[in-house]
Amino acid sequence: MAQTELDTSWTAGCRRKESFFFLPVDAEHKATELRLFSLAPPHMRAFHLTWISLFSCFFSTFAIPPLLPIIRDDLNLTDTDIGNAGIASFAGAIFSRLAMGPACDLIGPRLASATISLLVAPIVFSTALASSAGAFILLRFLIGLTIANFVSNQFWMSSMFSGNVVGLANGIAAGWANVGTGATQMLMPLIYSLITRLGVASFTAWRVAFIVPAVFQAMTALLVLAYGQDLPDGNYNQVIRNSINKPKGSLSQVLFHGLKNYRGWILGLTYGYCFGVELTVDNIIAQYFYDRFDLKIQIAGAVAASFGLANFVSRPIGGVISDTTAKRFGMRGRLWSLWVVQTVAGLLCFLLGRVNSLYASIIVMCGFSCFVQAASGLTFGVVPFVSKRALGVISGMTGSGGTVGAVVTQLLFFSGSTFSKETGISLMGLMMIVCTLPITLIYFPQWGGMFYGPSMDSDFMEGAEYYNLME
Amino acid sequence: MAPRLLAGSLLTFCLLAESCYGTVLFSTLQPTLVVSASPKEGEVLRAGDDKITVTWGMNQSFPVGTDEAYKQVKVKLCYAPISQQDRAWRKTNDDLSKDKTCQFQIIVRPYNSSSQQSFDWMIERDVPTATYFVRAYAYNSDGREVAFGQSTDGQKKTNLFDIQGISGRHASLDVAAGCFSAFSVLSLFGFLFLEKRKAKTSQKS
Repeated sequence: MAQTELDTSWTAGCRRKESFFFLPVDAEHKATELRLFSLAPPHMRAFHLTWISLFSCFFSTFAIPPLLPIIRDDLNLTDTDIGNAGIASFAGAIFSRLAMGPACDLIGPRLASATISLLVAPIVFSTALASSAGAFILLRFLIGLTIANFVSNQFWMSSMFSGNVVGLANGIAAGWANVGTGATQMLMPLIYSLITRLGVASFTAWRVAFIVPAVFQAMTALLVLAYGQDLPDGNYNQVIRNSINKPKGSLSQVLFHGLKNYRGWILGLTYGYCFGVELTVDNIIAQYFYDRFDLKIQIAGAVAASFGLANFVSRPIGGVISDTTAKRFGMRGRLWSLWVVQTVAGLLCFLLGRVNSLYASIIVMCGFSCFVQAASGLTFGVVPFVSKRALGVISGMTGSGGTVGAVVTQLLFFSGSTFSKETGISLMGLMMIVCTLPITLIYFPQWGGMFYGPSMDSDFMEGAEYYNLME
Repeated sequence: MAPRLLAGSLLTFCLLAESCYGTVLFSTLQPTLVVSASPKEGEVLRAGDDKITVTWGMNQSFPVGTDEAYKQVKVKLCYAPISQQDRAWRKTNDDLSKDKTCQFQIIVRPYNSSSQQSFDWMIERDVPTATYFVRAYAYNSDGREVAFGQSTDGQKKTNLFDIQGISGRHASLDVAAGCFSAFSVLSLFGFLFLEKRKAKTSQKS
């Protein structure tokens, strides 16, 4: 394809007058291939920018748990304070993820994600100034708002990549970003011990360590602003609004259209019981191994880190499974594989609370981490197809459902002393299995559901016309 | 007589066996040491600034020869019950290998049966804000606890003192936080402003 004028302004990335793209594209200029080792603008560049910036948000949010043994003594926290702060860190994200959906629909994922990252980065830095339990809880609440960037991450990938690879793109982008939860559990204690080795008192050293996540988050946000691009053809404020990809109507119309789609609600519920469970487990698993099996804190931290690090492959594999089953079975394949994987994850979670030996627990935990993270990847293989017009709202509802699930499971099973941790984990597994059943109720007229075929005639597999016009 | 001897030796054997297998229970230790600490009841000391003088020695009211096995004394700073409330990481456990009551070591000295010993300890900067007392453990040549003494009573209610830990905050960190926040927010609005201007100029052209 010929390349004519190429405007490489630093704020807009590359704007092309004629369609020249490094990757093969479809009719809407969305890439039909994913080339992981390429930085080609706009698709692959957007891919790398978004996973790195979400990685930094997870890194900041979960930077506090591994340093809690020092922080709880400095700020004189009680177990109640720590539990409340853990819940607060997810509670804020419920609302910010809901708001991020419409924000992406209106101003684009680039501006939306960079805004929240740059506004919260000072708060991450301000962790260094905390001196009471109240301040601590407030900080965790505010820093948790950045997890909203997950919605912009998925939205951006769904705008850049075509249906045949969107599951994979969503899965890898989210999976690699989720590795941030594991990386921080390993790195923050190392940064802290490096600073103490320089002679700094421990109660000052942990504060200084927070410079790292704050600066990282700000840098990635600036990179997104400088080099990112919302759509294959340009940014929201540059592309003429005649493409089918753009939302039609005002905020309230888009919002209403998204909220009345029952599939968004079901996916929000089920996502709460895969990703939500993953978030809760991230918060409690180090303590679980420390208390139940008397591991040293560094070993317990390493086990906790491995739970999060598995995201590097398991979530993308979820996306791959979604796309592969879609090739053969269409939407029915996506829905069935989601239901199967998430139910197996629930069974393994139930088992985790029942095994009594350390090695069996670690093995079951690894299996559980793979399945629960793959289920998250599979969920976002379905989300892009629910609504085109209100893609952001649906992504926001689903993403928000994830954090609601985290708050609910943490409140029900892991606060107070009603259950021992192992009983809580088993009950959580049972709840996962029950709350995955609603997937059987999802039905697309043009693509079918788990038990019924499509009721409309579609010429080719994805029923693009119906999707484009009606949803 | 014989059954009592049998029971007594069986009990002793069990206790010894327990020590051999590694679990020493606090409830089996004899309170033969007398320990005192310089802070008065309710006094507030500052970490990094103030000193505590601890004194320990054998309680002479016990029969001579009770302290034959004592080889070493470790003096520790321990959390009072009020500072252990709602904090599972400071929980008291009868099994000394799992006990988290005493987390700071003041001093280790070889045991001296003839006289009392004392030590001046500068409170370290990593000691958190809490209420404390002082306890000393006597160890035998195998490194196992065999006796103890503490500056408070058996219920840990009297002679407790407070330590105020350092906050860890620094003026330089506060200033750095302010500068970073300004940079972050200004760069965001700077970018948005430039974007708007670019959009306007491209609309005009």
